[in-house]
Amino acid sequence: MTLSEAEKTFILHGVQENFRIDGRNRDDYRPMELETSIITHAFGSARLRLANTDVVVTVKVEIDVPFPDRPLEGKMEFFIDCSANATPDFEGRGGENLATEISNTLTAAYSSNSVFDYTKLCILKGRKCWKIYVDILILECGGNLYDAISIAVKAALWNTSIPLVKSVTIDGNNVDMNVSENLSDCIKLDISAAPLMVTLCKIGDHCVVDPTSAEEQCSQGAIVVAISKGKFSTVFQTGGGSLHPLTLMEKLKLGAKVGNRLEEALSEALSKIKENGEMGFLN
Amino acid sequence: MPVDHKRINGPENTIPYKLYTKLNVKSFKEALQDAVKNGVRNDKRKLDEHRRIFMKTDIVSQAKGSAYIEIGNTKVVVSVFDPREIPNKNEYSLNGELYCEFKFAPFSCPKRRLHQQDAEEKQNSIVMKQALEPAVCRHEFPNFQVDVYALVLENDGSALSAAITCAGLALAQAGIPMFDIITSVTIGIQGDLKLLDPMLHEETLCYTSINKNSKTGKNSHGIVILSLLNTHQQVTEFYQVGSLDIDDIEECTKVLTEANKVVVPLVEKCLAKHVIKGVKESSQ
Amino acid sequence: MSRKELISKVGLRLDGRRADELRRIRCKLGVFSEPDGSAYIEQGLTKVLAAVYGPHQVRGNRLKAQADAVIINCQFSMAVFSTSERKKRPRGDRKSTELSLHLRQALIAAIEVEKYPWSQIDVYVEVLHADGGIFPACVNAATLALIDAGIPIKEYVCACTASIANNNQAMVDISHEEEILGGPTLTIVALPMSEKIVLMEMSQRFHLDHLKSVLEKALEGCKNTKNILDQAVQNHIVDVGASTGWASTGEKVKR
Repeated sequence: MTLSEAEKTFILHGVQENFRIDGRNRDDYRPMELETSIITHAFGSARLRLANTDVVVTVKVEIDVPFPDRPLEGKMEFFIDCSANATPDFEGRGGENLATEISNTLTAAYSSNSVFDYTKLCILKGRKCWKIYVDILILECGGNLYDAISIAVKAALWNTSIPLVKSVTIDGNNVDMNVSENLSDCIKLDISAAPLMVTLCKIGDHCVVDPTSAEEQCSQGAIVVAISKGKFSTVFQTGGGSLHPLTLMEKLKLGAKVGNRLEEALSEALSKIKENGEMGFLN
Repeated sequence: MPVDHKRINGPENTIPYKLYTKLNVKSFKEALQDAVKNGVRNDKRKLDEHRRIFMKTDIVSQAKGSAYIEIGNTKVVVSVFDPREIPNKNEYSLNGELYCEFKFAPFSCPKRRLHQQDAEEKQNSIVMKQALEPAVCRHEFPNFQVDVYALVLENDGSALSAAITCAGLALAQAGIPMFDIITSVTIGIQGDLKLLDPMLHEETLCYTSINKNSKTGKNSHGIVILSLLNTHQQVTEFYQVGSLDIDDIEECTKVLTEANKVVVPLVEKCLAKHVIKGVKESSQ
Repeated sequence: MSRKELISKVGLRLDGRRADELRRIRCKLGVFSEPDGSAYIEQGLTKVLAAVYGPHQVRGNRLKAQADAVIINCQFSMAVFSTSERKKRPRGDRKSTELSLHLRQALIAAIEVEKYPWSQIDVYVEVLHADGGIFPACVNAATLALIDAGIPIKEYVCACTASIANNNQAMVDISHEEEILGGPTLTIVALPMSEKIVLMEMSQRFHLDHLKSVLEKALEGCKNTKNILDQAVQNHIVDVGASTGWASTGEKVKR
């Protein structure tokens, strides 16, 4: 989709008047739908539909050896799959650049130990730990991928249960583990500090939250902030363009405000999620 | 870039021996106390003091423009090549593009780096591209791409900042039209300490929170990289990782904008030197 | 034979079906708004999403364009979480490339290719959950997506698997459990109304005498699948039509 100059001007004027093309204010989100436990093969999963953006996030845990320089910590890896269903541009290896960009951002956002406690994933110091694979499948791109993915990742981690290791025995070089067979014996991850990302898209003199793909095309650069418990875990600029330091601070403050609001909305939504409701793509 | 599958990368799972030496068994707090004593760092710098910077242009003869930078022990070479058509692209693009590749030399870090770009290097390439693009008059070369290759010869902290500043210099030397000189500075935060232009061991200290469980201490930590077009006062890239609150960031931004001002004359001087040399040569 | 019997003495299979029963098929057309046509199908636990883009101008190498037929471009991809063991990558391996080619072959037979010279149609399928019969589910989903996109097809193109149990009994629509327990699997893609077979593939072996009965079972499975898909399409049309007020006809539609 390419926009003509007239269309761009129309969007720009809308943003100036604080009345965007779909009737929203500058800091409003589009409606979201969140479902959890939709993929049965995974330890935890979530699907988020943010208007036209559709992502599925699944979490799988496997047993691995900790990094030698951090023997007490588990691992987490993000993998993004840009499905060609989203746009033909992603066919073959077309989506790889976007995928690395997003996975690097997520890795950066989750890198700090005050954001996610990796020591909880350790089973035996230096020998065994859990490795969390967070697999993200992008099914449709309707703008604002970062926000949608970060929300879905947080929901999927919330949904994840890790099997309980009852005992670990060391026999020479072998490590034997006794994993609980009981399905209800599971450990839930602590995701209270997991970051949520907010994209602030600069259009004209103002910046908007949750840009549609049309708005993304009119933007002169965006800034993405990852907010974890009111603190910034990652900030970066993207999409070309530059900002005055004062504008930057203003945007960051707005980002923090929106991030906190999003956080509240998500925890409310998660507390209301019911199990075994009608879910999936059929509804 | 196509990945080189034929290269033998050596054994996959090797560990630097340093992990096993006794010197390494220091707790984080001790390491931090060692790094900063009474507001003076290991190399006798103050907290907000730069390391010594050396810059030189025109060091890779094959490249259109190239530059070399030394910030303390951190050494980076950047080469910039002639604009060429954007590969695999059908549509006309109004603005030219920058292709950035950031690479650590295999011997640049304590742990050996592989020849293939890893995730960190790819991320740094993306940050570098974002930092440089607003500085370049991209409308001057539509449908073309300029390749920028940064190679870190030795990494002793702030390598990405060094690469960005150096790339700005190399782009200017290559005669690529630019709006302004681009400079970049890194700051590391650990608790109340703010370490400008951190060295490698200081950077490592900033990645994890020390006072995580104590309620009294401030548990801010992180790295902030700010790239600035000084005359226009435009931030082209603000990149942060860690966990910081808004006050920390505000303070860092102020410190970093000031710190960038210090670097600008050095870049200018280096460019002027290059121009004078060129004029002399042509007059002879 | 030491292996578990695939059909018990009372004639029930491992998941409780009879030999000629399909797994439950549920489907939906028009799942996404970005593609020109999209569909979602569940066959038992196997879940597949399909999207169709086009017909549009030929992308990439313009020399590929054909004067007499549209180019059909297919990509098969399996989400890394679709199997119980995590997959390393979603596509690009030999199996996905082969399935992409098969899918293309199956769709070319059904689409009226000569209607769109110099153009291209993209069909992308994404497996969300693999539980046997992945390829048939992909073909069925792609058919629905093509219909949703409004691309003229000669007739429904459906696919089904069949196998032989206990050395003499043919059974239809093989699940993953039955696949791994052994036994040959015959996959066919057919145009069920004209009873033409477009593509046939078999793994392992059985005696030639059984081929007729197994093939008939599979073909019957295709016909049944076609009826289910047809019903889904009709329901979808009624839904879409009713919401637009059926334009000028003004007729009341009963559902």
